[in-house]
Amino acid sequence: MAQVETFYYDNAIVRKFTYATMLWSVVGMLVGLIAAFQLIMPDLNLGIPYTTFGRIRPLHTNAAIFAFVGNGIFMGVYYSLQRLLKTRMFSNTLSNIHFWGWQLIIVLAAVTLPLGITSSKEYAELEWPIDIAIALVWVVFGINMFGTIIKRRENHMYVAIWFYIATWITVTVLHIGNNIEIPVSATKSYGIFAGVQDALVQWWYGHNAVAFFLTTPYLGLMYYFLPKAANRPVYSYRLSIIHFWALIFIYIWAGPHHLLYTSLPDWAQSLGSVFSIMLIAPSWGGMLNGLLTLRGAWDRVRQDPVLKFMVVAITAYGMATFEGPMLSIKSVNAISHFTDWTIGHVHIGTLGWNGFLTFGILYWLIPRLFNTNLYSLKLANAHFWIGTLGIAFYAIPLYWAGWAQSLMWKEFTPDGFLKYGNFLETVTQIMPMYYIRALGGTLFFAGTLVMIYNLIKTIKQGAFIGDEAAEAPAQVATADVHKENIGTAGLSAVRCKC
Amino acid sequence: MKKNKLKKQIVITILALFSSSLVFAQGAAATASGTSQANSEVYNSLLSNGLIFFAGLTMLGAVLALFHLLSMMIKVQQIKIYQEQGLEAYQEKIKESQEPLWKRQYKAWTNVVPIEKENTVMLDHNYDGIKELDNSLPPWWVAMFYITIFLGVIFFAYYHVLGGPSQADEYNAEMKVAEQAKAAFAATQANQIDEDNLEASTDPQDLAIGKTIYSTNCVACHLANGEGSVGPNLTDEFWIHGGGITNVYKTIKNGVPEKGMIAWSAQLKPADMYKVSSYILSLQGTNPPNAKAPQGEKYVPETE
Repeated sequence: MAQVETFYYDNAIVRKFTYATMLWSVVGMLVGLIAAFQLIMPDLNLGIPYTTFGRIRPLHTNAAIFAFVGNGIFMGVYYSLQRLLKTRMFSNTLSNIHFWGWQLIIVLAAVTLPLGITSSKEYAELEWPIDIAIALVWVVFGINMFGTIIKRRENHMYVAIWFYIATWITVTVLHIGNNIEIPVSATKSYGIFAGVQDALVQWWYGHNAVAFFLTTPYLGLMYYFLPKAANRPVYSYRLSIIHFWALIFIYIWAGPHHLLYTSLPDWAQSLGSVFSIMLIAPSWGGMLNGLLTLRGAWDRVRQDPVLKFMVVAITAYGMATFEGPMLSIKSVNAISHFTDWTIGHVHIGTLGWNGFLTFGILYWLIPRLFNTNLYSLKLANAHFWIGTLGIAFYAIPLYWAGWAQSLMWKEFTPDGFLKYGNFLETVTQIMPMYYIRALGGTLFFAGTLVMIYNLIKTIKQGAFIGDEAAEAPAQVATADVHKENIGTAGLSAVRCKC
Repeated sequence: MKKNKLKKQIVITILALFSSSLVFAQGAAATASGTSQANSEVYNSLLSNGLIFFAGLTMLGAVLALFHLLSMMIKVQQIKIYQEQGLEAYQEKIKESQEPLWKRQYKAWTNVVPIEKENTVMLDHNYDGIKELDNSLPPWWVAMFYITIFLGVIFFAYYHVLGGPSQADEYNAEMKVAEQAKAAFAATQANQIDEDNLEASTDPQDLAIGKTIYSTNCVACHLANGEGSVGPNLTDEFWIHGGGITNVYKTIKNGVPEKGMIAWSAQLKPADMYKVSSYILSLQGTNPPNAKAPQGEKYVPETE
């Protein structure tokens, strides 16, 4: 048996990412709320170009995805990776470069997008100098993560880490692939792909930004924080392996479903549809493993806001990943495409899955980082209900609006002309839905503010320990373990362990 | 002793199944010979009714026999469990077989190890305190996965191997239906427009409709009184694309896309384009304030 070593987890970097997650959650959602209100009060841009909807909207998506969820990922990864591998992060310097580099990128995005500096590719709007910065910081994150994995004290890698690795590799490929562009000035570039090829690359990226930035890292977080919070064993190791490999293999092909009924060749469209349908089960594998891990803990779900948030998050994930494949079927897509149904669908995933899972993690993590209890369970429960209502008030009107738009756009007069030829006719028709959606967004945002207050109070009453001591046996090289096993128990024992 | 009785029952059941198929064969032969010998409808209907009745009876017998066989096999299985695993396992099996159908199905499709027994599937994994069970994949989930893969193959094969409709085919089919509906409707409508022999309408009703169309679609560029802003002034005698009803109608119909004037034929029916053209010509010489400077050439109507 190897000698027991004492080492220290780096909680300081986790705290940094935690604060950043809290900050950007407010900013990202506030900007989204402004965008929602601009749709019902167009004058809200105050007559200046920087705050028009066309610039506010990408600011919202970038802030929500890359600032809020991005920092949420790093918060969870830096906390769980060290503990799952029984080691400190590979390098404090790289951790800090990663943190400050990422925040710098966010600030640059917040400046350039309102200025109208954009490559005009959805979720990849940032211009080439920022793209390069993202690539560099991402590589720093990669070195830090793989360095930590190499120097681990745990031979076997837990499923959460597979998800982190898949995330890192795929986001690297996606980000570089979709941002190959030729600069014409410091603030303008043109992608090297053109026409429908550009569209295909863009949606290969765009869809997999959802898959590998909003889904796989969060599944990894779910696999760590849910069993921790519920104090229950993971339901099925086998299921986690199968759904992991099925998910990452199938997800990457599904992008063309964003381009149904376009000039993309028919076979490529069908490929997108088919892979989306096959994606239902792999996605639900994650949901099942999450929900079934709570077997025997449902009585606590009723009391513990952390578990409550996680249950709704996983349920929202299951709903969104069933709805997505349905929307990829051509005849359904013919109804939903270009309508607000899409926005409703996306927000089930982002508000429900990403938002609520992040909230659950924050409520669980901050008391532990600061060695205290949550300031107020009551406020956390209030947040839960306000937030859930917010999601419902957000999504349902948009489903309604989407159907109204679709029906109106396709209605013809007997002469063969569009009955509602003027786009404004559908806009005015769905205005009431936009009002309710803005109300839903306001509720969700209000809930977030309640959480921030609760968390700040918790932080103030606690005492932070930057370097948390831990003990684990020194690492034995994997090959040695196998030799040892073969020597003592024969080959079958090795098989069992792996 | 008991085993022998079981075997006998199984043999009887199989015989029953076999004989039922014999009866079917006979029935089929009877149909063939019956039709060739007699043409009497009464005879035919009697024969077919009888056959159906007989076939139904045989099927019923076969189903009952199958159920019998099934329950015997379950019993054999239970006895085997008793002999091999003892009384406790046997009693549990009996209890399970007495559960309602939905519960047994639910168990079969979820295949979960109950929480009380989860230690039997607990792996020796421990990641920062997280343990893992080795529950099997939920059978309903596996079935769903296979079905979606199967559907995917069918979907792709239908559209790209067996020649299912492409999106262009779908579009053409829909357009054809729409064209037919349009033509059928047009046939019921009076006052078709003869584009080659147009004469500006002066009918106040036409002009009123023309004005409505104008204020819905044209004011954004030509302003409320036709004084012009993005688009040219429509109240003077100067025309860029020719004056007079025929030219104005054509400009509205086909548009001038390079200058931002869209082709309205996609949104207005001919009668409406005619009415709005007539309305525009009625604005001639109204001299609204702040009118745009003349553009194009002065139009002099051809005299016959």
